[in-house]
Amino acid sequence: MSDHVLLEAGGLCKYYHSGGSDVAALDQVDFQLEKGAFTVLSGRSGSGKTTLLNMVGLLDTPDMGSLHIAGENVLALSLSERANFRLQRIGFVFQAYNLIRVLSARENIAYVLQLRGMKKTERLAIADHWLFEVGLDGLGNRRPDQLSGGQQQRVAVARALASKPALVLADEPTANLDSVHGESLMSLMRDLNDRCGMTFLIASHDPVAMAAAQQCVYMQDGRIVSVATP
Amino acid sequence: MKNILIYLRLGLRNLLLYPMRTGLTVIGLGIGIAALTFLSAMNDGWLQNMKLNFVLTQMGHVQIHAQGFEQSRRISDYMGDTTLVDEALQSMQSMQGGIQAWSHRIRVSGLASAAGANASVLVSGIEPEREKDVSRLHTFMQQGTWLQPGDKRGVVLGDVLADRLSVGLGDKVVLMAASPDGDIASEVFRVRGLIHSGVMDVDNLLALIPLKMAQHWLHLGAGVTDVVIRTNSFAVVDSVVSNLQQRLSGKPLEILRWQEIDPMAEQWTMFAEIYTWVVLLVVIIVVLAEVLNTMLMSMHDRVREFGLMAALGTTQQQLFAMVVYETLVLVFIGGILGFLLGGAVSLYYGEYGLDLSQYATAFSFMYMSSVVYPELTFNGCARILVAAMLGAVLAGLYPAWKASRLNPAQAMREI
Repeated sequence: MSDHVLLEAGGLCKYYHSGGSDVAALDQVDFQLEKGAFTVLSGRSGSGKTTLLNMVGLLDTPDMGSLHIAGENVLALSLSERANFRLQRIGFVFQAYNLIRVLSARENIAYVLQLRGMKKTERLAIADHWLFEVGLDGLGNRRPDQLSGGQQQRVAVARALASKPALVLADEPTANLDSVHGESLMSLMRDLNDRCGMTFLIASHDPVAMAAAQQCVYMQDGRIVSVATP
Repeated sequence: MKNILIYLRLGLRNLLLYPMRTGLTVIGLGIGIAALTFLSAMNDGWLQNMKLNFVLTQMGHVQIHAQGFEQSRRISDYMGDTTLVDEALQSMQSMQGGIQAWSHRIRVSGLASAAGANASVLVSGIEPEREKDVSRLHTFMQQGTWLQPGDKRGVVLGDVLADRLSVGLGDKVVLMAASPDGDIASEVFRVRGLIHSGVMDVDNLLALIPLKMAQHWLHLGAGVTDVVIRTNSFAVVDSVVSNLQQRLSGKPLEILRWQEIDPMAEQWTMFAEIYTWVVLLVVIIVVLAEVLNTMLMSMHDRVREFGLMAALGTTQQQLFAMVVYETLVLVFIGGILGFLLGGAVSLYYGEYGLDLSQYATAFSFMYMSSVVYPELTFNGCARILVAAMLGAVLAGLYPAWKASRLNPAQAMREI
């Protein structure tokens, strides 16, 4: 794996048992992601985007194949090592239910930093910085139910980036947002990608997301069918 | 543990997210723990009361007999001379060695007859004045007077015994008992007083006569069967016994603690201990029943949240600990409420007493007073707190295990 490659997957397969037969959610997927990339996984619902994202995010385990992230064979890690790998290396933005509802926006952002053992003053300062970065300055004490859907996703983006992970994974981040907020969120993530150099892998079939991408990977029936640069 | 504060904060806030559910659980826990705190205090009060009554009614904290008397109860196993014992006790008393008072007694089983009625009796020859410093027998006088010095033929009877014999004050009673040489000796006494203690053994069986008369009647010379000792407290009993054993080493004597004098007392003490364990077991069950359901419901509501937390890098162990902490927070709040409520009730009745006189007959055989004063002790509270927390941990284990085993990807798909 060359130095500029962050992620390399080879022959990834994932089968689900349904109706007495195995359905391939991922079928021999070979995939590379370069450091600093802003890549969108696209395809119709059920094409395998989220499954691939779950494998790459170490949230699920493939039935076959290999997966290296930052040079490490992550499939060889134990469950607790995977949790630690996610904590140290990966940031997540999910489609919905992104935030811990009993924590404020600031505390949600600081949560991962606290898990990493950072001191309170330091982590709260970082949380405030990222709240400012995502345009939510002054809303840090609000709980998730006091924020709009767009604001919640921005907090999630701030949380994902606050720990400066090597890889940011986002699963349909604009799915629950209207077009204005969706466009704004993608523009924000792209801007942060440009300025901070973090690698983004986004699963989305939203044209707004695809328009923001450096690279679009199209999936169909669990396979990568094409890679395009818009 | 690292990050404990965030989990305690999360636990507390999650509990506050559903105030009704949490409130009902806390109230249920509070009432349960309050009831058990009160029961525990009642038990401690009962036990203390029973011990005190047992010792002060007539047994004393410590008794000294001739070797083998407690086992044989034969009058022939008497102490012919108590000089050495008296000197040892006198020396310990003057050295603040825990001795409050002591007296001599002759104890013998016999038969009482009066005007055609007969009844078994436990004759106790006592030193009327010294006895007042050792036991409460003189305080149980219901009719007549306590034995007076110089009144050789006076007898004080238990009131039930007097009823059986159909005698009252001034009536004659003939007491018969075996002397050490095996002859049956009888003597006539006149009833000077009746006592009512509420203790079956005393009221139904006891006939108190002057020690000098008993020694003369049973041909014992200066001999006695018991030296009954009242110590300053229960706490010094062991040291007093140990000291006496050293001082009277090599003498054919037996030195017995109050628990060894009557097996019943030992059994009741054991019963009280078992009862304590039962209370603690009930505490655990109450906590389990109250909390398990609440935590499982909470778990069900938060599957996605646990999945999210796992995805963010929270380990299985951290998720496990978080749920257990949450359970502990819940039980701790319920426990505080319970202790306040149960403690207040216990303190109130500890001051004014709980009158159970309608059940007095049931208590009479085990030296219990009909008015119980619950004792709220630190140990009693600590035991319940530990049991409640143990129950909390047990109640939290299953939900915590479920939370920690969630697959993050699957959990986040849950609706």
